[in-house]
Amino acid sequence: MWDNRCKIAVSGVGFSKVTRSADIPLAAHALEAVRGAVADSGLEMDDIDGLATYPELPATGHAEVDGISVVSVNCMMAMLKLPSLTWHIQVGSSNIGGAFQQAANALLAGVCKYAVVWRAMHNPRGTYQNLPGNMAAGSGQFTGPYGFGGPGQGHAVAYARWLETNGQTRDKMATLVLNQRKNTQHNPHAYFHGTELTREDYFASRMVAYPFCLFDCDIPVQGAVALVLTLADRARDLKPTPAYLAGYGQRLHFETAGRIGSLSNYMEGGSSSAKLTWERSGFTPGDVDVAQIYDGFSASVIYGLESYGFCKEGEALDFIQDGRIALDGELPLNTFGGSLGTGRIHGLWHIIEGALQASGRAGSRQVKDANVSFVGASAPIVTGTTFIFVRDPY
Amino acid sequence: MSDWSKVTRPIPVPDEYTKPFWDAAKRHSLEMQRCQTCGHFQHPPYATCTQCIGVDLKFEPVRGQGKIYAYTVMYHTGDKRFASAVPYASIIVELDDAPGAFMAGNLLGSEYTEAKVGRRVEVIFEKLNDDIVLPQFKLAGE
Ligand SMILES: [Zn+2]
Repeated sequence: MWDNRCKIAVSGVGFSKVTRSADIPLAAHALEAVRGAVADSGLEMDDIDGLATYPELPATGHAEVDGISVVSVNCMMAMLKLPSLTWHIQVGSSNIGGAFQQAANALLAGVCKYAVVWRAMHNPRGTYQNLPGNMAAGSGQFTGPYGFGGPGQGHAVAYARWLETNGQTRDKMATLVLNQRKNTQHNPHAYFHGTELTREDYFASRMVAYPFCLFDCDIPVQGAVALVLTLADRARDLKPTPAYLAGYGQRLHFETAGRIGSLSNYMEGGSSSAKLTWERSGFTPGDVDVAQIYDGFSASVIYGLESYGFCKEGEALDFIQDGRIALDGELPLNTFGGSLGTGRIHGLWHIIEGALQASGRAGSRQVKDANVSFVGASAPIVTGTTFIFVRDPY
Repeated sequence: MSDWSKVTRPIPVPDEYTKPFWDAAKRHSLEMQRCQTCGHFQHPPYATCTQCIGVDLKFEPVRGQGKIYAYTVMYHTGDKRFASAVPYASIIVELDDAPGAFMAGNLLGSEYTEAKVGRRVEVIFEKLNDDIVLPQFKLAGE
């Protein structure tokens, strides 16, 4: 087990408004989320001395303008002018889960006391994957000429292979998508809060890239979420019940540049991250009371369920049936609605929900007696990070 | 059948790693990067062997027969260059001679519904301009 098991805790969390269009600068969304997280903790902004984010915009063909399309650490510091800032990072290779992990490491090293981690996501005007131009250079030269543009097609090929090699059909995915939209109705911050989705809607929706229909893809939005991370001893003196970090892991399998990344061995990628998390926390998949698994595309959840060890390879679409993943099921899954319900904010919202469930603060979607709360914060393909939060730090 | 006549394909830009592949395609031949130490084929080309870290890499001719490893049917028209062809099949092919080295392509000459995992395909060559010829695929034996 990890020497630092339960020595770090998530305290406050914060959310901005989530909107379809970018009516106000993204920096304002990020600020709203960060202020919310600090206030939720019962701290003053001047107490914050660590900042961490992953500022990437996953759209292509759009200018990166700090404060408009991304919110860097520099942009956040320019707004907050924190008098006691002693540590900061913006990660490049390991997604927002990696930024969270670096903040945990910095707290354990004693180089800051209260770190804020945020993820702000922009929805650019026009086509999200804007692929103009007549040339395909670099990693795109073997894919661009065939119409492989955004990540949708790249993930669709892996999903089609999964379905056919396992003798499954996409019909069963409706269970996941509908369950998450149902959960979304318990999350007032989510983009699709107040918008129901029926089975008929799912099957009538237009195809985007087979096997993905519209409702298998998270909707691009503008918004931000944030949390305060601190040492467990300090977290106990703050307002919210702490969610203790029992363990975490990162993916240890990397892919050649330019290959369709989703064709990597997700079992190797996801399990390498989860294995570290199970070993460090001392838990097994059977101990988990509630799980959040990244769902930018619906199929990411099946790779997560299988590679993290919740079910066997090829069985995830059967595993999610018959109420097993409902709020009152055996393994309540993506209880906040997932990215399919909140809109495309990436995995920090999954981490936040994992923490809220562990600390008993998830409101009307709270899973009863949840103690062991699992999070897979990005697709086990390409990059992946996994976490376990607990209510009981022993 | 997908109408490719109005599609403007982005033109590949060969670089120091990939030039031998595109030079071969121009001669209507497939050449894949192969590690001379362990025999591993890889695509796209890379600086080192992704299997044994060998640095002695050469391009070797391979035959153009293989199977569909994975595929998608594209319906989204966000990419205007390809909008006139939807729905169309984009496929990933594993060549018989280069297992593990995946090539992308479109399934040409058949309905997009013919794209299925495991189906046999063979390479054909589509001239984009005087410099670049693009490997593509059709169902085998047709
Ligand atoms: Zn080798």
